[in-house]
Amino acid sequence: MDLSLETRNADGRTIIEVGGEIDVYTAPKLRDKITELVGEGSYHLVVDMEKVDFLDSTGLGVLVGGLKKVRAHDGSMQLICTQERLLKIFRITGLAKVFAIHGSQADALAES
Amino acid sequence: MGPAGSLSPMDAVETLPSTVCVAIARDPALVRTVRLVAAAVARRTGQDEEFVEEVRLAVGEACALMVSDGSEAGVVAVRMGIADRLYVEVASDTTVDVEDPATADLDGVEPLALLRGLIDDVTVVQDAGTTVGMSWPLS
Repeated sequence: MDLSLETRNADGRTIIEVGGEIDVYTAPKLRDKITELVGEGSYHLVVDMEKVDFLDSTGLGVLVGGLKKVRAHDGSMQLICTQERLLKIFRITGLAKVFAIHGSQADALAES
Repeated sequence: MGPAGSLSPMDAVETLPSTVCVAIARDPALVRTVRLVAAAVARRTGQDEEFVEEVRLAVGEACALMVSDGSEAGVVAVRMGIADRLYVEVASDTTVDVEDPATADLDGVEPLALLRGLIDDVTVVQDAGTTVGMSWPLS
C-alpha cells in the first residue's frame, strides 16, 4: 500500500488525511505536501492519521519538520491518532509530549 | 551472548535450521517487502499481534537505516531465525553511519534511537559493512 494524502479546509485549518504507510520510501511525499501547504500560507495544520497503517522514524521526522515549519510562522500542527501501535512510537521517542494528539477531527478543531 | 545466556542474534541466525533470508537492493521502495516477510516470520512464533507489529516496525527501521544514505550500491540482507528467541540480523555490505543517518534532512528521528527504545537486545557491528542484530524472547 502506498501513501494517500487528501487535504481540505475546515474552521481556518487545513486537514491532511493520511492513509497507508509512512516510511522511508513514502515520507518524502508527506514532507513535500506539508512544505507545499506552508508555502501557500497554510500555517495551521491538522494531520489525521486514523488511516495510517504504518509509521516509522522517517515519518516521525517529517512530522517534526512540519511542526518546525508551521511554528516558524506562529502556526500549529495537531495530530489525530487513536491507534495504540502508533501512539506507542510517539511515546517511545518522547514525541507524545511534543505534539498535540487528539482522538478526532472535532476534538482537534475545537482546540483554540 | 544475548540476554539470559542466549546466543547473540548474529551467532544465532548463522546456525538456526529455520532461518529465513531475504536480500534487497538498497532501494527504499523495497523496505516494505522486507517488513511483510518479517511480519510473516514473527507470526510463526505464535505470539500476539502486538509482538508481530513490533518486529515489523523494528525490521523496517533497521532496513530504513541501511538504505537511507542515498547510495544504491550493494544489498541489504535480512536473516530471521526462531529458537528460544526470535533472532533477526539486518546487514548492509557497505558501512552505514548509524548515528547520523542521511535522513537527517527530513528532521529524522534516529532509527537507532527508536530501535533501542523498542527492543532490549539490539547490537550494532561496524566493520566492512554494518550489521544490526536484534532478538526477542518468546513465551
